[in-house]
Amino acid sequence: MFIGIDVGGTFTDAVLLDRGCVRASAKVPTRDDLLSSLLEALDKIMKGFSGDLVERVVLSTTMITNLIVEKKYDPVGLILIPGPGLSHKHYQFHADSHIIPGAMDYRGREIIPLRREEIEKAIIDLAAEDYKKVAVVGKFSSRNNRHEKEVAARVRWNYPDWQVEMGHQVAGQLNFPRRVVSTMLTCATREKYEFFVDSVIGALSQRGIDAPVFILKADGGTLPLPCSTRVPIETIFSGPAASTLGVQALTPPGETSVVVDIGGTTTDLALILSGHPLLASKGAAIDDYLTHVRALAVKSVPVGGDSIVERVGKEIIIYSERLGPPFCQGGPLPTPTDALRVLGLTRLGDQDRAREAMNNLGKPLGLSAGETANRVCDLVIDTIATEIQHMFTQWEQEPAYRVWEVLEKRKERPSTVVGVGGGAAGFISQIAARLGAYPVIPPYAPVANAIGAAVALPTLEVTLRVDTEQGYYSIEEEGFQEALDDSNFTEKQALDLASKWLNKRANKYGLNQRIDDVEIIRREVFNMVRNWVTTGKIYDVHVQTPRGILGHIGAGGELK
Amino acid sequence: MEKKTGLIFFPAFDWAISPTHPEREERLLYTRDQIFEEGVMDLPQIREFAPRLASLHDIARVHFCVPRVQSQVTEAHLIAAGSALQLGDAVLAGEIKNGFAMVRPPGHHAMRTVHGNRGFCNINNEAVLVDYLRRRHGLKRIAIIDSDVHHGDGTQDIFYHDPDVLFISFHQDGRTIFPGTGFSHELGGPQAYGTTLNIPMPPGIGDETLSYIVDNLIMPVIEDFKPEFIINSAGQDNHYSDPLGSMRFTARGYADFTRKLNPDMAVLEGGYAIETALPYLNLAIILALARLDYSYVLEPDYWPGRFTENAERASKVHRTVDYLRDVWEKRGSADIAKIFGKGDFYQRKKFVFYDTDYIEEEQIERVKKCSNCTGYLLVDSKGERGYRVPVRIYGVSVPFGACEVCQREAYDAYYQAKKKKEYDYVYMQDKSLDTCLNYERDKNHEWSTEG
Repeated sequence: MFIGIDVGGTFTDAVLLDRGCVRASAKVPTRDDLLSSLLEALDKIMKGFSGDLVERVVLSTTMITNLIVEKKYDPVGLILIPGPGLSHKHYQFHADSHIIPGAMDYRGREIIPLRREEIEKAIIDLAAEDYKKVAVVGKFSSRNNRHEKEVAARVRWNYPDWQVEMGHQVAGQLNFPRRVVSTMLTCATREKYEFFVDSVIGALSQRGIDAPVFILKADGGTLPLPCSTRVPIETIFSGPAASTLGVQALTPPGETSVVVDIGGTTTDLALILSGHPLLASKGAAIDDYLTHVRALAVKSVPVGGDSIVERVGKEIIIYSERLGPPFCQGGPLPTPTDALRVLGLTRLGDQDRAREAMNNLGKPLGLSAGETANRVCDLVIDTIATEIQHMFTQWEQEPAYRVWEVLEKRKERPSTVVGVGGGAAGFISQIAARLGAYPVIPPYAPVANAIGAAVALPTLEVTLRVDTEQGYYSIEEEGFQEALDDSNFTEKQALDLASKWLNKRANKYGLNQRIDDVEIIRREVFNMVRNWVTTGKIYDVHVQTPRGILGHIGAGGELK
Repeated sequence: MEKKTGLIFFPAFDWAISPTHPEREERLLYTRDQIFEEGVMDLPQIREFAPRLASLHDIARVHFCVPRVQSQVTEAHLIAAGSALQLGDAVLAGEIKNGFAMVRPPGHHAMRTVHGNRGFCNINNEAVLVDYLRRRHGLKRIAIIDSDVHHGDGTQDIFYHDPDVLFISFHQDGRTIFPGTGFSHELGGPQAYGTTLNIPMPPGIGDETLSYIVDNLIMPVIEDFKPEFIINSAGQDNHYSDPLGSMRFTARGYADFTRKLNPDMAVLEGGYAIETALPYLNLAIILALARLDYSYVLEPDYWPGRFTENAERASKVHRTVDYLRDVWEKRGSADIAKIFGKGDFYQRKKFVFYDTDYIEEEQIERVKKCSNCTGYLLVDSKGERGYRVPVRIYGVSVPFGACEVCQREAYDAYYQAKKKKEYDYVYMQDKSLDTCLNYERDKNHEWSTEG
């Protein structure tokens, strides 16, 4: 049996799956102590089942998201090695940035050497300001990590008890500012996250659950919980990923759908294109920071069932704030939920209070309660439908850097609009009508997120870059760089090397089966020509484990 | 909020002329690395666009492609030209303040008649953009400033008789580099005298003299001309490390030039120091367009004061600038009949060598000296490849806003040519009606496209 638990902002949901069937589900309010909410939901679904029947547990949690958004982490000092390029005034990051001289170029050649006294000075300054956490990040450190390593070693030599993180180990992709942010946030959250992980593992084993435990990432893949402490920020925004995978599991394979998760104050939108959740082309943004975290393309629209609705002059406007429950449930102000209640599209709350709310809102405009309710609903539907269309155009307009990519650009429109979350029922059919698609509210829609967690599978990637002229190769995801002394290195060898590393990573992350089915996302060869003579090659190979889910709910025992 | 700078980065990682050709996949690889590592696309001042394809008609509006557009372009060419159109649309729609199409393949050596590839170019991206903007957005006056080390002879050829397009090119002296043209006496035809200006520079000239050219010629002339749209044909091979050019411009020099010129659009042209120059130059140009600080952009082997101008060579350029300034100011009173002769037509004979494809072209170009419009153009061209029968074509081009008489005469010329056996292909490029015709004798068939 498989367990999925999603600790969300308002509710914590859990499900127990057994051969494609939902055996038990639970929904409990999320309290400040995330662990206790998690265990409460777990205990509810495990009632009557023994812990040793559990084969796997997958968690999704807002823990790191909350830490970052609420800024509940220790301050991190930055030692940056940006070298020439953009003005250094871009590198403040609302943090204490110490910029030291030194630079590598795009092929990992040193342009400007480090200066010992500048490193020492930065360390002295950080110590004077009482920092104990330091992120060391250099431009192009993923092409040559020597500078980062040297600086980190100096910090450790001076202060062995400080926590030091290096950029090339956190984020190997190109984009220095995002690497700084990712490294800083990793440094900031790791300690608290390790504590959380230990508590979870302890609590599960107390309950006799010894099955492997995984955590859901923003890209919809999973990581073994113990390994995830290396990359805590990969777990941000796993909630929307959970809902999306849940919908994938609850709908037939191969469909193009929009997932609409209408909550109290926000509506999360995600796209499933021909059965595959769409990944964002750029890393996730959190709290004004742009990171390198790979995430599903999710859009959060500030409209929900509890949003405040107000009249301004002759207009009715929806605000993104929530000031308590809907009026019909005893709240202070009219909300979209009240409108639904008046129109008979929900059974929540009190009909008379809902009418009162709509009457008060519409009277000065000469509108009846019903007319006002229609107006409010239209507003919500318009807002959401427009955003969905915008997501599709944005996807179509994503940059392309190769001829075949431009020629392959396609237009796709959803065939279904799938509603999950509390507020979905009232709005989905009208949103679907607006988009010319079928509305679907699948069974178990309220706990789709927990189902998504339960069916999520591990995903691992390897990006290999070989520079035969410089004589080295690097694995982006591992921050690994090594000499390669073979000027006749071929494309085939590059692919083999990438597969080897993918398996190596799989072992490291506790996936014991061998990956035979390696998906090649990109394989490029660049001939390096100097003075009309080919002097080397650059190989750029990106491979991953196949993406997918464990199975579809209701597919009759197909779920392992 | 101030508008953003639009970028299309299209490195065409899957397109090359040949594996070791300078115009190959690797060309923008390190530029990609630099720009992505700097996080340029994340800057609030920058907006990245997806490229799109230009239509075959967009190409036919500008070029006589032999035998047909499809045989001269690959998808990569349509994407490079289409990217320029995409950004042009966005600038004119007010979505962005300016744009930079960092695209391959380049285009400024492609002339009106295209028998093949020359100077790594088949399709002139800037010319396609100019005629698209005039057709689609009703612009009239456009300026193209070419900062490539090689003379922008293709662009010059296309707009030589067009008084509404100002073309200024500064480049290494044609006696020392491809394509061997671009001298200061090439000033435009009788209908457009003075709207083509060339500043040949002796090898070794650097930033200081560039700055002199910009301040004393380019900016004052632009101020007079009052273009509605300025395009920078942004070649980057004037850089001191370029393997093909012999000049000494720096990334800083290029950025200063971009800041002063403040073009509505820049389109990447040549530049083959793919490691030592392009990553830094492209970054500096982007920052200059976005009005961001580019003073931190430095080539690894550059230090301020590394280059000093040779006084004698610099003064040679100064003299050229003074001469051209004089020509520009007196262009209104120039004795056109004395320069170009009398008669209804002005005729010039051209020999064009296609260095990439080894084609030799002989061409006679005639322009009607019309006083009511800019006059139609007749092209009689023979392209010869060593190993096959020469191809002879006849092309007629009717300008934007052509007068009735010119239109009638032009169509007469087209129908006459269709009857003559010596022409394998006959073309009509009617910009006033946005219709292009292409007649093939062997098949006795005529194709047409319309905008």
